[in-house]
Order: sequence, then C-alpha cells, then structure tokens
Amino acid sequence: MTTLAPGAVSLPPPVPPALRADHRGSWVPTPAMIATRFMELRRRRGLMIALVLVNIGIPSLFLIVRLLAHAFAPKSYGPAGGYQIYSNLAAGVMFIFGFIIAATLGCTAGSVDLTEGMFRHLVVTGRSRLSLYLARIPAGLAIVVPLVAAGFTIVCLVCVFAAPTKINYDGDNVPANLSLTGFRTWAGEHPDHVICDFPYQGNIAVAVQCGPNGPVSVGPNGSGVIVRGKSPAGTSSPPHVSAAAVKALAEQIAVQDYADYKTQFLYPSNTLMIQTGLWLELEAVIGFIVGLGLASLLGQRTVSVILMFVLEIILTPLLSTAHIPHLINLQRAVVGLATAHLEPSALPLPFGGGGGPGGHAANLVPESTLVAVLVIVAWLVGWSALGAWRMMTRDA
Amino acid sequence: MSAATLAVGTDRPTESQWAVETHGLTKRFGPNVAVNDVELLVPKGCAFGYLGPNGAGKTTLIRVLLGLTHADAGTMSLLGYPVPRHRDLALARVGAIVDEPRFHRHLTGRQNLQILAAAREPEAKDRIGPSLERVGMQQRADDKVGKYSMGMRQRLGVAACLIGDPQLLILDEPMNGLDPAGMHEMRDMILSLVSEGRTVVLSSHLLDEVERTCDAVAIVDRGQIIRQGPISELLAGTSVEVQIECSEPERAGALLRATPFGGHITVGVPGIGIALAAGTGRDVVAEINRILVEGGISVYRLQQMQASLEQWFLQVTSRLGAPE
Repeated sequence: MTTLAPGAVSLPPPVPPALRADHRGSWVPTPAMIATRFMELRRRRGLMIALVLVNIGIPSLFLIVRLLAHAFAPKSYGPAGGYQIYSNLAAGVMFIFGFIIAATLGCTAGSVDLTEGMFRHLVVTGRSRLSLYLARIPAGLAIVVPLVAAGFTIVCLVCVFAAPTKINYDGDNVPANLSLTGFRTWAGEHPDHVICDFPYQGNIAVAVQCGPNGPVSVGPNGSGVIVRGKSPAGTSSPPHVSAAAVKALAEQIAVQDYADYKTQFLYPSNTLMIQTGLWLELEAVIGFIVGLGLASLLGQRTVSVILMFVLEIILTPLLSTAHIPHLINLQRAVVGLATAHLEPSALPLPFGGGGGPGGHAANLVPESTLVAVLVIVAWLVGWSALGAWRMMTRDA
Repeated sequence: MSAATLAVGTDRPTESQWAVETHGLTKRFGPNVAVNDVELLVPKGCAFGYLGPNGAGKTTLIRVLLGLTHADAGTMSLLGYPVPRHRDLALARVGAIVDEPRFHRHLTGRQNLQILAAAREPEAKDRIGPSLERVGMQQRADDKVGKYSMGMRQRLGVAACLIGDPQLLILDEPMNGLDPAGMHEMRDMILSLVSEGRTVVLSSHLLDEVERTCDAVAIVDRGQIIRQGPISELLAGTSVEVQIECSEPERAGALLRATPFGGHITVGVPGIGIALAAGTGRDVVAEINRILVEGGISVYRLQQMQASLEQWFLQVTSRLGAPE
C-alpha cells in the first residue's frame, strides 16, 4: 500500500481575500458569466440565421409580397397591412414561431455545454452549478426577447402604415374612425349601400327592394328612388319613395349599427399592439425556459427540440379545444392553453380556431385567469427546478 | 525530494502540506469498483505521476477529486480544503484537464477562455493573454477551435488551467496528440510550473515522460494504489542490469556463471546481459570487467543500466490480466 505516512490533523488554509469576494459558491451568476454565455449563443451563426429567418424573415417575406402585389395590382390585391392581417399574423404566425425559436434556443442553451465538452471545464472552476444554470436564462432571454420584438415590430409597422384607408363593413367600404355624426352623415350620403347591406333590427317603413333585382339607386336630381328590376308582388310598377325618407332610413340604420362599427378597426390600436407584444413575449419566455429545463434534464438538444415542437404544434391545439370530461383538469395544466386564455381578446384563437374579437375563448377548455397564471408560473418554476437539479447532480 | 519526509508527526492542527489527500476513497459503478479505498498523498510543490494501465481507474479518481462525479465513500481534500464541503474554495486554485480537452468549436480559443474566466474571479480575465502566450497559442488564439488540431486543443486546455493561477494542476494524459517537439515543450512547461511552487499531478501512460518529468509517482491498478513514493526511492529497490559488448559472448557467459556474483545472465549476438540484485555496487561491475579481460575476452562496451520506470511499472503490475 502506501509508503507515505499521512500528515498531521490539518486545518483548511485561510481563504484569500480575492476568493472571499468572489462568492464562487453563490447561486447568483455574475454579469460576466451572463455576458459570455450570451456571446456563446449569439455566435452560433447557423442557429441565429435560422431563428431570424423563422421569426423575422417569414413574416417579412409575406408582408413584402403583399406590399408588392398591392402596389402593382391594387384592384386585385388588397393592402398589405390592416387590422385583419395584423390579428392573423400575431395570433397565427408570431405566436407559434416565437415559441419555436425560443424553445430551440432554450434547448441549445441547455445542452451544448454537455455535448461540446465545456461543462466539465466550467465545473472545475468551482463555480456553483446552479449559478452556471441560471446564467443561461438572462443570456438566452437577451436574444429571444429582442428577436420576437423585432419580428413583431415589423408586423406592427406594416399593418399600421400599409393599412387600407377604408373599412370593409358588411361588404361595403366605409371610412374609418368616424364619429356617430360622421357615420350618420356618411350613411345619409350612401343610403343605397346602408339600406341594402347593413344589418338592421326593426321595420323598414319605406318600400325598398334589394337583393337579386339589383341595388336601390337614387333618381336624377334626388327626386326620388326608383327600384330597378321586378316590383314587389301585387304591384304593377316600381314604387316611388322620397329621397328624404330613404336618407332618414339610412341614418336610422347607421345609428343602430354604430356600436358594431366602432369595433371595426383600420389598424390595430396602440393598446392592442402593446398587449399583443407582451403576450407574444410571454409565450417566447415560456418556450425558452421550458426548453432550457427540458434539454438540461435530457442532456441533448435534438430530442428536446422535437418534444417542444410536438407540445406546441400537436398537443396544445388538441388539448386546448377538445373537451374531454375525464381529463379536463389535465388539459387545464397545459401551458399553451393557459397562454391562450391570456391572449388579448381582439385576436383570433392562436390555434386556428378563429372566433373573432372577444369570442375565441368560447372554443377553449374553460379556465380562469388565475388558474392560467398559476399554470404558467408552475411550468416556469417546475422546469427550471428540474433542469437545475439535473445540472447539479449530473456527472460531468 | 522525498514525499515521505514531509509528513509531520504531530497531532497539532496545522495547514496541510498535501496538495491532494484522500482516505478510503471509493467510487463504484454498479458492481464495478473503479476507485477502491484509495489512500493518496500528493505533496505540495512537486510533479506527481499517476500511473496505471488502461481501465485502472485513473481518470475516475481525478473526476471524483474534481467533483465531476461523487464518491461513494472516503474523504478527500485539495490544497487543504475538504472536498466536497469546500469545493468552491478548493477548485478556485485548481486547474485540470480531464480526458480529451473539448471546447465550443464555433468560438475562438480566446472566447472559450473568456467563458471560463467569467466563471472564475475577475482577475482571471487578465490572465488569458499571458496563459495563451505561455502555451504558445497566442498566434492562433483568435482562430475557431473547430480548426484546431488535437495538440492545439491540449495546449488550450493547459491555458484554461492557467487562467485560474492554479496552485494545483491535474493533467490527464496531457501529452496526447502532441508531436515530439510539443511533448518537449509540455515537459518544460510542467517543470517550470513546478519550479514556481505549483503542484502538478500528471496522469499518463507515457512512462518515459513521467519519469523525466515527475518527482514522485503512484501506481494504480484495478482501482487501488499499489505503490507510491519518490521515483528515486521506488527504483532503488529494483534490479541492476549490466550490458556488455564483447568478443566471444558464449565463453564470456560461461566465465561469469562460474563467479559468485549470481544474477541472471543472457547471451546475445553483440554481447551479454547480467541482471544483478538490487543494491549491487559499482565495484561488482569493475570485478566483472576484470574477470573478462583476464579471461582474454575483448570488452568493447560495458554499461550499468538502472531499471527504468517502465521496467519497474511492468514488474509491479505483472499480475495484470490475472483474475482477482
């Protein structure tokens, strides 16, 4: 066995001042650790290009094509921007893509130190493994959050500045942002469109015929209304209605429809854009942190990315809209359902369910806002705890 | 330097003189015992070789020491700090290469060191340049690691150790991938590190390199340390071989067999070899020469060979392959 005698009972040497100030055993990562981790992720050129292409490139390409198409053939192709395009892009594209890029980056951040052999070097520094894990969160979010913001900003800019000048309200082009008086005035000037196309609850006192026989048109010099085409059954000639009566009827309809008209937007409001932006960032943060925890737990990137995609693209849409009585509480624990419940109400359902303003939640498995928030917090904390635990106990 | 002489025979608490100290250290992988009740004492300020055949548990012990994997039993300390209780303080002054050094391939060597320096104390950042210069990587520091050869990654691994201003370096097979010139430089660097008062633990299967570099060694076999101590003391207990080139080797062999020197005599084409017992003096070699000359045999060359570390290693691990 050994030929060397063990030494005397020994005391640990005094801690040098530099090390005492170093807080190497602390779980709090240093700014330098976060900065270098950010550098490590940012310099993955292929990954960064892919993330930019998905989150900024694809929406931008879509908008550029629409801008060009509208510029060259405005009668065939509508404006590139507008409220409708915005809501579809935000809920249908940016929501999914934001999650996907964030999850991919999270899975990368959670696994590459292991797969590339750097984890061992880092552990040998004596730095707390928990702080090594936690340093990845701000570093990754410093990439994900601006990336999502950049893509969303482009969508907002195009949707605001390339919005149509008129609202298509129940089949008719109507000027946007009119007051009640303005809307009434416009209706009086366009009684044929209003009477024949706008919804109205009540009796129409004047004899006006629309539909298959053609629109109502105002007669020469405003002298009266001639209904073209067939006359109502039992009459031998088209009835003549005074222009004042038609105008009054149109204004009456406009007053009734104004509340609905007010909800039609030319482009998204600032409030809606801010709410949507925060909602998209929340989804991206969830994607990154869950991906980070999952990849740290599994120790590899590919499987983690696949699982995250399956969760977002297959499981979440299925479990969020299918009402399964015995699994309803399990369904409520799906993080995608929780974020869908926090979606701004003016947007359509993110999983393609549509529903329009205020109505999409009816398609989802019911869940209170409080429960939705708790589910999101549980996912963030739970996956972070799992990832950190595995990082602290894993053989390096 | 004798490691044994460093032991202090008192119970008074004092600062440890061992850079590495383990007692009863054990690590199991299922039924396999990779590190078996290891008692290892590495004196501070020396180059210490850690030798063993493949699969003997060298790397596992290093991994346990560095906290890369946990021990199942036993106690250990690095630079006097008990591990794992004061792992952060202990590793603050330890640099290590374990297995093949691997880094982020998409980053440059310098950027990889920046990541590691960020996990150390703030002063570590200022040591990146000097460390790269010391291992001869300054010119290639801004190339991506993906373009590095194995030898360059080894050098970068040593630079990664140096940015922590380590008092203890644990190098696992640091000569791997190095060309002869690189091995020479690495050897010089290890010696220079030791001359600065640092301790270097060198795990290697290149026995010749260890013999040239290290002051003391430990031999590990099947997870257990079977010998440890200063090389000079360990080799002092081995046999002495005398090689003789001469005319008429057959007759020379017969003459020497008739003498009382003993030893094992082998006769070959250029001459004869005599293996003498440990501790044989120089006067015996002179007597052999005299007998041959008086016997009318022309002696062209006579050389006393001390057993090398390799020969000694093979002697003490000769039971390799034998069942437990």
